[in-house]
Amino acid sequence: MISDITLGQFFPGSSVIHKLDPRMKLILSVLFIAMVFVANNTAAFILLTVFTVVLVLLSKISLATVLRGVKPIILILVFTAFLNVFLTGGEGEPLWSFYFLKIYEIGIYRAVFMALRVIILIVGTSILLTYTTSPIALTDGIEALLSPLKRIGVPVHSFAMMMSIALRFIPTLVEETDKIMNAQKSRGADFSSGGLVKRAKALIPLLVPLFVSAFKRADELAVAMECRCYRGDKNRTKLVKLTYRARDFLTLIVFVLALVGIILECNIPSGALGTGAFLEFLFYRV
Amino acid sequence: MSNIIEVTGVTYLYSRGTPFERRALDDVSVGFRRGKITGLIGHTGSGKSTLVSLLNGLYKPASGTVLLDGKDIWESPKEISKIRYRVGLVMQYPEYQLFDETVRADIGFAPRNLGLSKEEIEERTLRAASFVGIGEDLLDKSPFELSGGQKRRVAIAGVIAMQPDVLVLDEPAAGLDPRGRREILGGLSKYVTEGGGSIILVSHSMEDMAHYCDDVVVMGGGRVIKTGSVAEVFSDKDALHSAGLDVPASLRIAEGLRERGINLSGELYTPEGVAEAVIKYIGGGRK
Amino acid sequence: MMKNDIIIRAEGLGYTYLDEGERRGDEIPALSGVTLSVRRGEYLAVLGHNGSGKSTLAKLLNLILTPTEGKLYIDGVDVSSGELSEDEVFSIRKKVGMVFQNPDNQLVATVVEEDVAFGPENLGLPREEIRARVDGALSLVGMTEYARHAPHKLSGGQKQRVAIAGIIAMRPEVIIFDESTAMLDPLGRRDLLDIMDRLCRDEGITVINITHYMDEAALADRVIVINDGETVLDGTPKEVFSEVDRLHAIGLEAPQGREILHLIGGRGIKVDKAALTEEECIAVLYELISRGNINE
Repeated sequence: MISDITLGQFFPGSSVIHKLDPRMKLILSVLFIAMVFVANNTAAFILLTVFTVVLVLLSKISLATVLRGVKPIILILVFTAFLNVFLTGGEGEPLWSFYFLKIYEIGIYRAVFMALRVIILIVGTSILLTYTTSPIALTDGIEALLSPLKRIGVPVHSFAMMMSIALRFIPTLVEETDKIMNAQKSRGADFSSGGLVKRAKALIPLLVPLFVSAFKRADELAVAMECRCYRGDKNRTKLVKLTYRARDFLTLIVFVLALVGIILECNIPSGALGTGAFLEFLFYRV
Repeated sequence: MSNIIEVTGVTYLYSRGTPFERRALDDVSVGFRRGKITGLIGHTGSGKSTLVSLLNGLYKPASGTVLLDGKDIWESPKEISKIRYRVGLVMQYPEYQLFDETVRADIGFAPRNLGLSKEEIEERTLRAASFVGIGEDLLDKSPFELSGGQKRRVAIAGVIAMQPDVLVLDEPAAGLDPRGRREILGGLSKYVTEGGGSIILVSHSMEDMAHYCDDVVVMGGGRVIKTGSVAEVFSDKDALHSAGLDVPASLRIAEGLRERGINLSGELYTPEGVAEAVIKYIGGGRK
Repeated sequence: MMKNDIIIRAEGLGYTYLDEGERRGDEIPALSGVTLSVRRGEYLAVLGHNGSGKSTLAKLLNLILTPTEGKLYIDGVDVSSGELSEDEVFSIRKKVGMVFQNPDNQLVATVVEEDVAFGPENLGLPREEIRARVDGALSLVGMTEYARHAPHKLSGGQKQRVAIAGIIAMRPEVIIFDESTAMLDPLGRRDLLDIMDRLCRDEGITVINITHYMDEAALADRVIVINDGETVLDGTPKEVFSEVDRLHAIGLEAPQGREILHLIGGRGIKVDKAALTEEECIAVLYELISRGNINE
């Protein structure tokens, strides 16, 4: 079922993370992404992993759910890790060799760092944004953060409204896709066999009704919005006002410190924390 | 066998194996008689829409069997599309499924999928169109140009063109005005009398059951609450009430009279029936 | 009657559109010569079959369409000229709210209370006022406990109640229901009709229910029947439903009790034409049968 995907889903709750201001969460996400890309040694990655785990714990979303979000990309991760392990050339003695295949220490590092980087990136940003922020709050946050652009004529409000309507209609259209698919299957349509061309052709009976209906919905929605006195952001007020609270600034300070810490750590010559320690951490502790 | 479809001990779960798991059907057993129109009634969430999706193999039961003409429809899962041709399902608001350039091509979609010859496809298309009262002048129009009621009928023709043994319709008259309802529902009995098929009609309306059906299956909470002929089911008010349903207005009026000591006899669930019974009772009226 | 009592008045109202299909350019009249007035606080049903022109009437009342003939006054303002400024349109729409047929296609937000707030937000109300109106409107339609839910997980009837709350929160004088019950199951329909009744009786809102269900029309104070773009009947439910033959001729029906009396009447037996509710019909039939027995 299409509706079982967890990546990009919102889990309502009242944890500290849920309560952060959406604007702050967007800023924090940028800082977090910076951390992930700056990190390039063992110590930094340990810090980053601990930091991410703490975020997950604070959000009160189960680790199993979070990991399920990573599942769809496991295959890609394993594949890139393999490429990194075998294709990274190094100096000195390889750890292992078999004809032309050689594994160097640095290759293993790269593979592990790369995989960790992707996993941490996905887990961290999902925890900060999609899992703990309602789509509408997220849209409000984006609109508020981008609002300075209004002055140079960027239609920030329309953009945000479009986005929130798109979010509103995704579940409706997913349901509709299911329904039309069943209707056409009931008329003998076959969506799952045959070659590429045949399959693409088989989609026509699904896509045409879906588009027709989406346009009809858009039309009706536009009329309904007009009837409810919508005229862009002219004189418009909002039910929810975004306000920064102490916890937002506190979290910001923690994130900035973490980022500074990682930057400093990564400038310290490698080897300060030995590779042995890293491998020990990886294979014995986990 | 007198039953064209026999459902035994069927259970169906939505979102199986997830925290959202929900039992939509719970140990349902019911038979549908060959050559009859059987009404399936119940509130939203009673399981009636799930049940019809199991009858043509769109869903597979978690346990239990669905027998079509005495054979398990899931005997060979690869052949399930053949079952869908034999049990034609018209979904709710079926006009949403129209997609082809012309009405003719749209009605011919299922026959083309069946791999029939050109002549056979054309013949079936014409027959199905005329069955639902779509004239030949409309066949070369785009289905999107038609009125709401016409679209509905074209969509139904698209299923009838498969010439299924059993025609299952989920609320075929939803949202239509009285004339539109009559046009669609009134034409159905021909499918049984002339075509020799069987019909299962899902509806919210007690009045429709009274008018068009031979048998009625009442569902509630994922279970079958009552089955029997229209007269049998309407006489069991307790069963109907436990499904949150009421008898047709005409029957309520007849019962109101009985409470005042007037016992009418006859088929009291349509206005015609009650009017006839009253006239008989007072032994009068000009013919 | 004081002029101020009339909230909507149409004089010879009509709308003709240009066909875009096969007969391109042809003028097709959707509505013509409709004259009616709606009193403030009235509960009016507009009855007609699909394609009778009743939806066009709804679109005219909400200024989605501009009439091609006749006059239309809303709260004394002539809105038929088609030359209204944006602010004038805005102030009319504030007075006339509309609930549509498909519940999915009128909800904007991903959270129920934010959807209800959409209208008041557009009116530019202060935040506390929006909050109060949203809470009030949700409780009026019995959806308070769903305030933080996502609309797509609600049933059709619940969605429709949210849509009504969204209109109520704008405090309109008139609410038009354009086939709002057509896609609902019987329970959802009953809830909605109950709300319409309360809006009119308790909140003093003028309710116009555009429908093709006879039993719904029977609940209103007054029924207008539209056919082929023209008003054919206008009166109380009792008056309108006593014209069973005329209703049949235009493809409509009367409630079942009324149909029974009509059938008996058709056989030359004299029956009271005014009975409408089931109880009234039972009483009339009882009377008839008792009389019949005595005669024998």
